[in-house]
Amino acid sequence: MRRANIKSSARYKKKLAHFAPCIVGIGILAIVPYFLPSYLQSLVGKVIIFAIFAMSLDVIFGYTGLISLGHAAYFGVGSYTVGILTLRYSVESFWIVTPVAILMAALVAAVFGIIALRVSGIYFLMITFALGQLLVSIAVKWYSLTGGYYGLSGIPRPDFGLTGFRWSNTYFYYFVLLAFVICFFILYRFVHSPFGLTLEGIRENESRMQVMGYNIWLHKYIAFIVSGAFAGVAGMLFAYHNRLINPAHLDVTTSTLVMLMVILGGAGTLYGPIVGAALVILIEYFAGIYVPKRWPLILGGVFVVAVMYARLGIAVQLSRLWKRMP
Amino acid sequence: MDVFVLNLLNGISWGSILFLVASGLSLILGVMGILNLTHGAMYMVGAFVGWSIAVQYGLSFWLAALIGGLSAGLISLVIERGFLRHLYKQLNEQVLLTFGLVHILINSTIWIWGARSRAPFTTPFLSGSVSIMGWSYPMTRIAIIVIGGLLATGLWWLTNKTRVGAMVRAGMDDREMTMGLGINLPLVSVGVFFLGAFLAGFAGVIGAQVLGVYPGLAMDILLLALVVVIIGGVGSVGGALLGSMVIGIVDSFGKALFPNFAMFTIYLAMVVSLSVRPRGLLGRKI
Amino acid sequence: MEVLRVEGLSKNFGGVQVLEDVSFGVRLGEKLAIIGPNGAGKTTLLNLLNGQLSPTAGRIYLFGEDITAMPTHRRAHLRQGRSFQLSSLCSNLTVLDNMLLAIQGIHGCRFQMFRSITSFKHLYRKAQELLRAMDLWEKRNEAVETLGFGEQRKLEVALSLALQPRLLLLDEPSAGLAADERTDMVNIIRGQAGDVGVVIVDHDMDLVFDIADRIIVLYHGQIIAEGDSKEIRGNSRVKEIYMGMEEEHRKC
Repeated sequence: MRRANIKSSARYKKKLAHFAPCIVGIGILAIVPYFLPSYLQSLVGKVIIFAIFAMSLDVIFGYTGLISLGHAAYFGVGSYTVGILTLRYSVESFWIVTPVAILMAALVAAVFGIIALRVSGIYFLMITFALGQLLVSIAVKWYSLTGGYYGLSGIPRPDFGLTGFRWSNTYFYYFVLLAFVICFFILYRFVHSPFGLTLEGIRENESRMQVMGYNIWLHKYIAFIVSGAFAGVAGMLFAYHNRLINPAHLDVTTSTLVMLMVILGGAGTLYGPIVGAALVILIEYFAGIYVPKRWPLILGGVFVVAVMYARLGIAVQLSRLWKRMP
Repeated sequence: MDVFVLNLLNGISWGSILFLVASGLSLILGVMGILNLTHGAMYMVGAFVGWSIAVQYGLSFWLAALIGGLSAGLISLVIERGFLRHLYKQLNEQVLLTFGLVHILINSTIWIWGARSRAPFTTPFLSGSVSIMGWSYPMTRIAIIVIGGLLATGLWWLTNKTRVGAMVRAGMDDREMTMGLGINLPLVSVGVFFLGAFLAGFAGVIGAQVLGVYPGLAMDILLLALVVVIIGGVGSVGGALLGSMVIGIVDSFGKALFPNFAMFTIYLAMVVSLSVRPRGLLGRKI
Repeated sequence: MEVLRVEGLSKNFGGVQVLEDVSFGVRLGEKLAIIGPNGAGKTTLLNLLNGQLSPTAGRIYLFGEDITAMPTHRRAHLRQGRSFQLSSLCSNLTVLDNMLLAIQGIHGCRFQMFRSITSFKHLYRKAQELLRAMDLWEKRNEAVETLGFGEQRKLEVALSLALQPRLLLLDEPSAGLAADERTDMVNIIRGQAGDVGVVIVDHDMDLVFDIADRIIVLYHGQIIAEGDSKEIRGNSRVKEIYMGMEEEHRKC
């Protein structure tokens, strides 16, 4: 999580170099449907959704320095809300389902935040884990609402209420891409705002921040809710994308997976988690083709490599190399 | 009344198994500041190795337990020396690393032994039952309680009545001071690590008499051991014992009376315990 | 008009009485130095004034307002600045980032979540002013951890000045500084506006006698002497304590 932040007033060349990767990246993503078959478009879509999920965790982990091991809870709440509203209550309108899903995720984060922020360090880690698992056990047991162990399947694509509109995989891909661009834009502004800098200050030195006038708890709490809300966005998109959700999407395996994405890519950078998400999902995909039974083994290996040898994050290492080039 | 007693005995035997796992986890966390999530996998490894020795090759059950423990201990040493040693006090790195290792260990176990569950096994001496209040109660569970009790006494004696134990406790309270006094704390720590893993592996075989052997043990046992450490307190053998008994008994009664709510109650207990008294009942500050 | 008033302040740590019945006041523009051997309770006193510790007994008044139970961050809003004995900085952030955080700490804009921080020009202007005064402007984009010890110390004090304090609490500001850096520090402290109260804890007797209007001597948690530099220099009890300390030093 180390970086020397360059915050000087606008100099066009620097800004252009700074934003070039963004523009190129989004450009490439935009033309994906033109040269990739449908099932690979779906894979890229999954990468984009998990990129949002990973960025949301980065806010609370990379920027604020809080280790949350139950982040999948908010992702899952977003997913399940979509599933429950569309399948159990037949509420199909996107304009109702989506805001409610995000709101529910933020609400759960608000409640869990009050409980979890009473403690810190290893206790915070364990309590966020327990809270996430609590939701898993509810999802597993409350069959009538959540479909129990097998979850909810057959989730329809979003209904915008537009007559004559029919979804295709490509349209859905662009829908997800648009959501990602919006989320990235908002989160980018968020972490570069005074509030964002405050979070980094809290991560670095709480007592210094305290004597400078910051209400540490309040800032952490707000960050926790924002983080949960964006995880909910990712979850909402995932429900529409996957058409199927089950308790595994809420539990610690998913929470550690997204944590891995953040660390592998580079915490505290916002673009790091995007790279991390891409790497992990691609590895999962190829492992699934060539050595499907050994995927957990490979995943475990990636964890070990990420922690022992790529501590700063691959994206960060790469960007440093890039900056050093003439 | 007799059902109550039987459930209580079940709870105590279940607690004994948990104690063997949780005590190691608690001491490692207390002495080395390492949250070792592979501890449940150590139980699983011991169980599978023990199964191979006792059932596959038909050798002595007690030999199986011993070798199960040794295998777990050796693997743990490799993990500690190779990886965890470099991550002292880096909490989230430890969590991710050990979680990754758990994946590797579980999948390797499946690779070697296959994923199917194995039935409980024991030594011929213990395969009968005794009569308790008119009910027939398996001797294996009695044996577990006895073994658990013996080892608990042994551990208590080791930590409270020996010089090594004093070094361990001193190291938990003030690491720098202890090392400053010339005590080779890293060596002691590695010893504690090995012992904890050995006990977990040993427990894997002893517990197999009741629980059987399956890959999911790694996570199931880890979770409950974590709850025990949280409720009982870190770094305390007494805390691990108290926590194990509480969880063992509550879980046994819970499964008998409210089979649908078992996991929910456990997680709720974790949340409440961490919110109200993070240090646990008998724990030291970490 | 008193900036700070302390009455009967005591602090007990699990049986150890670290401070006992400490009372004093600081007037507008006055520079009060608190001296005493190690373990006398000086830093504890500052932590109590700061709110990072709560007293076992006694009251603290800032501009007449009872702040004894007020949380630390709120005291900053009453314009109480604090620098720490061991530099407490955000090491992985840049010098400029640290200063921006110090300035916006009591401004509402710290809750702005959508506008880029670079658009808040007044923050940058103030940062430039404060950093130039400490000769740190050139290094504004360096990560704090790359700074030398003396520069970190200067930044530490500069941060406490960022909220335009009415009361400044400085804990050994000159510790470990080279001679010329020390002179800079003295000038900065002297150069504070006429109505700023300063409480400075230090071991550097030259600095103390140079700057302080009034001196309080703390020993085993109690005030044993109070007065201006001439009175303190002439105080036999104080001399005894410091001579005793000298003896201990020579024995070691």
